[in-house]
Amino acid sequence: MADEIKTGAYICKGCDLGNRLNTDQLEMIATREGRVAVAKSHDFLCGAEGVKMIQDDIDSGEANRVVIAACSRRAKTDAFSFSEIPTSRVNLREGVIWVRPEDDESQETTQEMAEDYVRMGCAEIKFMATPKASEEQGTNRHVLVVGGGITGMTAAIEAARAGYQVSLVEKSDTLGGTTGQLYKRAPTRAPYADPEDTGVTELAKMLEDDDKVSIYLNSVLSSSDGAPGRFDVEISASNADGSTDAAQTISCGSIIQASGQIEYDANKLTEFSYSEAPDVITQLEMEALAKAADGGAIKRPSDGKEVQHVVFVQCAGQRSDKEGHLSYCSGHCCNTSIKQAMYLKDNAEKAAEGSSIDVQTTILFTDLRTPGAGGEDFYRSGQNKGVTFRKGTVSAVDKNGNVTFSDLILDEEDTIDADLVVLATGMIPNSGRNNEREDELSAQKTQLEAENKEVPQEVLDEIAIPVESILNLKYRQGSDLPQLVSGFNDSHFICFPYETRRTGIYAAGPTRRPMDTQQAQEDATGATMKAIQAIENAGKGMAAHPRAGDLSYPSFRKEGCTQCKRCMMECPFGAIGFDDKGFPEYNEARCRRCGTCMGACPVRVISFENYSIDSVGQQIKACDIPDEFDEKPRLLVLACENDAYPALDMAAQNRFEYSAFVRVIPVRCLGSVNTIWITDALNSGYDGVVLMGCKKGDDYQCHFVKGSEMAHTRMSKIADTLQTLNLEAERVAVHEVAITDIHRVPELINDMAKTIDEIGMSPFKF
Amino acid sequence: MSDLNQALADKYKGNFLKEVIDNVEEGDRVQMCMQCGVCAGSCPMGPHWEHTPQKIFMMIRANKREAVLASDSMWMCTSCYNCIARCPRELPITHIMHGLATYAKRLNLVPKTQPTAKFAQLFWNNLSSKGRVNELKLGISLYFMNGFGEGVKTAMANQKLGLNMLKTKRMAINEAWGGHSVKDKSGFHAMLKKAAEIENDTIEANSK
Amino acid sequence: MSDIVATNETILVVGGGISGISAALEAAEAGKQVILVEKNAYIGGRVTQLHKYFPKLCHPTCGMEINQRRAKSNPNLTILTMAEVTDISGDKGDYSIKVKLKPRYVTNNCTACGQCTDAVEAEFDNEFNYGLNQRKGAYIAYNNAYPQTYVLDERIIGTDDATKAKDACPADAIDLEMQEESIDLKAGAVVWATGWRPFDANKIQPYGYDRFDNVITNVEFERMNDLMGPTGGKVTRPSDGAEPKKIAFIQCAGSRDRNYLKHCSRICCMASLKQTHYVRENITDGTSDIYYIDIRAIDRFEDFYQKVQEDDSVKFIKSKVAFITEGENNNPVLNGVDTEGYHRYANEYDLVVLAVGMEPSVNQGDFPVDIVLNEEGFIEMDEKNGGVFAAGCSSDALDVNRAVQSATASALRAVQVINQVGAVSPQNEGAK
Repeated sequence: MADEIKTGAYICKGCDLGNRLNTDQLEMIATREGRVAVAKSHDFLCGAEGVKMIQDDIDSGEANRVVIAACSRRAKTDAFSFSEIPTSRVNLREGVIWVRPEDDESQETTQEMAEDYVRMGCAEIKFMATPKASEEQGTNRHVLVVGGGITGMTAAIEAARAGYQVSLVEKSDTLGGTTGQLYKRAPTRAPYADPEDTGVTELAKMLEDDDKVSIYLNSVLSSSDGAPGRFDVEISASNADGSTDAAQTISCGSIIQASGQIEYDANKLTEFSYSEAPDVITQLEMEALAKAADGGAIKRPSDGKEVQHVVFVQCAGQRSDKEGHLSYCSGHCCNTSIKQAMYLKDNAEKAAEGSSIDVQTTILFTDLRTPGAGGEDFYRSGQNKGVTFRKGTVSAVDKNGNVTFSDLILDEEDTIDADLVVLATGMIPNSGRNNEREDELSAQKTQLEAENKEVPQEVLDEIAIPVESILNLKYRQGSDLPQLVSGFNDSHFICFPYETRRTGIYAAGPTRRPMDTQQAQEDATGATMKAIQAIENAGKGMAAHPRAGDLSYPSFRKEGCTQCKRCMMECPFGAIGFDDKGFPEYNEARCRRCGTCMGACPVRVISFENYSIDSVGQQIKACDIPDEFDEKPRLLVLACENDAYPALDMAAQNRFEYSAFVRVIPVRCLGSVNTIWITDALNSGYDGVVLMGCKKGDDYQCHFVKGSEMAHTRMSKIADTLQTLNLEAERVAVHEVAITDIHRVPELINDMAKTIDEIGMSPFKF
Repeated sequence: MSDLNQALADKYKGNFLKEVIDNVEEGDRVQMCMQCGVCAGSCPMGPHWEHTPQKIFMMIRANKREAVLASDSMWMCTSCYNCIARCPRELPITHIMHGLATYAKRLNLVPKTQPTAKFAQLFWNNLSSKGRVNELKLGISLYFMNGFGEGVKTAMANQKLGLNMLKTKRMAINEAWGGHSVKDKSGFHAMLKKAAEIENDTIEANSK
Repeated sequence: MSDIVATNETILVVGGGISGISAALEAAEAGKQVILVEKNAYIGGRVTQLHKYFPKLCHPTCGMEINQRRAKSNPNLTILTMAEVTDISGDKGDYSIKVKLKPRYVTNNCTACGQCTDAVEAEFDNEFNYGLNQRKGAYIAYNNAYPQTYVLDERIIGTDDATKAKDACPADAIDLEMQEESIDLKAGAVVWATGWRPFDANKIQPYGYDRFDNVITNVEFERMNDLMGPTGGKVTRPSDGAEPKKIAFIQCAGSRDRNYLKHCSRICCMASLKQTHYVRENITDGTSDIYYIDIRAIDRFEDFYQKVQEDDSVKFIKSKVAFITEGENNNPVLNGVDTEGYHRYANEYDLVVLAVGMEPSVNQGDFPVDIVLNEEGFIEMDEKNGGVFAAGCSSDALDVNRAVQSATASALRAVQVINQVGAVSPQNEGAK
């Protein structure tokens, strides 16, 4: 029978394993207890000869699943890679001999450790099938770009250049977005001395001429659904008279959200008289004046007088913890003010055929932020053109343009009588609805109402502000990309900036972080890379980052499912929906294969082909639990394979020792840990359980964003379980661990060993 | 306030930076300063400055005409060039300081008791009469700069140094009578006169 | 090495730092054939030498672990370490490349057991730790280095140590006969990601890095705080090994300065702000004074700056330090003027950290291909560069996030070239 499981167990004697361990005994355990078809040892298993020995068994049909008892699963991956053959790695080197002292006294417990790991490997392999992609893939080589500003236009042209079809959806009646409203932009190439054309017109022309690109103006996404490779999107257009046409439905493989930014509302800045004084304007309004002047003298709004002295107030309503202000810096405004001061200087210089000194431009700043090579060149160029920079904090601008500020260098108050005042007010991301916040607020309101308490006005106010959805996703987890801080779309900020929490949908431009036009174009190009990659991988049924290439996907046993929807609620990636009957739908092209659904499922019906409740649970059960009087406790460690497990490996590389009573099982993410594993472990006589996952919270390091957090929440409830079992709460510990906690991870294990010493062995030994 | 000073102040009202650019040597470089303060910290005379160079540049941009021109700060510069060597923006700070001093002098805004200004005048008088520095006379006039009594005291204190200089021919006693001179003295004077005229004309023109 | 298959549909990535790896993986994960060439014996570049990243204060090893795993499992990616590109000729869509492979003297059989390290005696300055300690002549750069294969320092070849290493190796992985070789490759597009190097602090004469023991650089400070670093995570004064309490950070040490680097290196402000966290975490009663011109905590980094400002142990002084002298007990004394209101200072510290900036790691003139550079030596985006695209810090002074962004964008530019090549090559006709 082709499906018959024939496991080959191969035990390495290299790297001192043969000297430190009784490998004959391990072979015997694999055969007798692990019931493997073949068990062999080799002096140097990862060498060509050792690998050939395994491959020969596979080729001859002796083995169709493999247990490698050698080094960590992170080592020698090239050698131990057998195409299509499920492989379990038993970590005898980093997991056993490298963390144990080499003395006679320790020999027995070290050997027991190795034996247990062999048992565990043999148990795991029984539940590992070769993953095969499901049948639901689509390979639609069509990229949808939402937003026709410079970010979206760039993404569209870049995708077309890569050979993909593109649909570009723009809400307004013209392409260009905010950049289209600019007279010029800060320079993007050497010598970074003068403002340059925005390039928007050329870009629009290119898009219009490109037969791979379809442009939808006056249009929004009224609905989007599906998964990478097979999104279905409804585009609704509105006519000039306000009527709407019937929505068009198109299919696409991935989506780039380039919804841009909106200017901060300067009316909130009453101290700067914006709402009363026509000659106090924002940077974007200054662009309009410059556009109108088109190289001639810039005239102020109130009386059309040519301006002689313009003051730029940096960080207006930004970098501030005042109510209603933006806490962050918008990044572009320093360069923008320099550029706008140059408009005045350059125009005056042209008019006077030489000197521009009569037009005064003063930039009031606290930190001038023009980083990089181009930034500093541009700052210098501004100074060279006679733009005056003064470090100061502005306290007030009156209706007549008197700017009062404290000069921080001269340490005194000063006032400049300006013709025109430009406020650098910064940007707010246009990132759609914050579904999580909405849920939070409505839950708060519902609860207060249920308790007959008054709902605070600020809660009601916040609920009352309507926010337009950008994507109108039909996902159960909300209509838009999740946000983290300050309304920016969340991504794995440092290492993997494009990894949003909705697979196949990539945010680009200022919706994800404040940025200037040049960075937005770079960002758009990067997001396009991810968008075409998502299409290619979805077509092959492969996971996207971070388990790129993984073909396994979750499925569930329908008869056991209680339609509780926990899997749907906990999925960090919005992958799971449900059908008419309330059964889950997995949309595996959206799935990142973290297993958080599996961890969440109270009835344990969710599994992957090679990772399941059983593949871990049977390992837990396979361990030999000595009886109470042996004084050999057993500790279970469930370690996140991304950070905690490598940290344990590195501790071993440094020969940091830890308790021989521990058995470590790597998990895909702490989020995939189902509480059944813990209760099973405790029930079967383990004395303590330690969970190690990544940092959670705003500065999360969890590669599946919410996995670690979900696990912590679940485990906070484990105390009840322990109580019903009449066990001490200390027997279960959850830790946030970093990959560099090389000293700390052994300590955490040893701490648990000490705790067990203190509170005594589990009463559940058999 | 002198007429010229008044005229210039009126002319450049509210834009002292422009006045400096138009009238002070290398004045256009003032705008390049980014207020890092490395010049201020590098100056060996630093502790004696009322306003450091970087602060003066800021004051110029902040329109503090009187405070800058009447300051004795730029007279503190000893031309060691430490600031120029270290300035991250390569501002010719020494030159600008001397330029400002010269301009202030032109407008009669030098503080009355400024010793460097006095010495500078003595040096100029000495040099411009014959086109060569007469060290003996310069030394003597320097000693007696602040009156006869003090001059005698200073001379006595430096007696040994003077004698040694005579011995090693670093100073010639016959310099006291006439002293050495450039070959074409009248040509030299004509040149100075012309230069002064050009400078005057520029400033006069700028004041109109 | 003859088994490397490269065609004009292959993407060559030069440099295996965070930018190069990111570019290589993004392209490979989109199905393209990629060859990554790295000069060091390991991939990861400069970020592997960082203790933590700003603004999340997480560890670079964490992201690198994921990238290593992506690399291990991707059949489209070939990584060549100890390799340097010596020549690139041809045009966009059809490049011929010469790569020099330096001998590692250790084969793939290496199991990273470390016995060769124990066997050899010779020690050399540890470049991974900027010379702050010594390493053996048989070594692996750091714990999580990839590939997990040891290296023999070429300086021990021909000595007894080499034989000792070979004899000690249980896996027979040491090959003392290995020679330098040169290989020829084809590629359709090139991603140039050679990154940056810290500016040489010796050049900043007034700060006395070359004269004063207790004046160090930010990259050295980074290594000191790493638990696995040269001091085991302890911050110590090089002069006497004591724990410093009063620490000064000097911003723009070599940056924004016509005498050294004209450009702003962008990252140094955030790096120092981050390092004040190390001071607080690792030194009881430690204080940090930051001497700065502008604090460039741009965009979302501002929040990080604001948190540091709230910390009483951190002070900010708006001043470019003029010069450093040495006081008693080898204490550096910072001299200068606080320009906010003119306060002259001569402040004594236990340790001074120079926030040195980044310069392109390849000198102008040393590029094996015609390329358009700006005055600062960074690669400009220009049509003249053909199918060679700059990624990361070879294009500007960038933080990690922006470097990855730039790398991902460059990966697409390379993919575009390959897709055009693919579209016209006969075997692919009709495939679209």
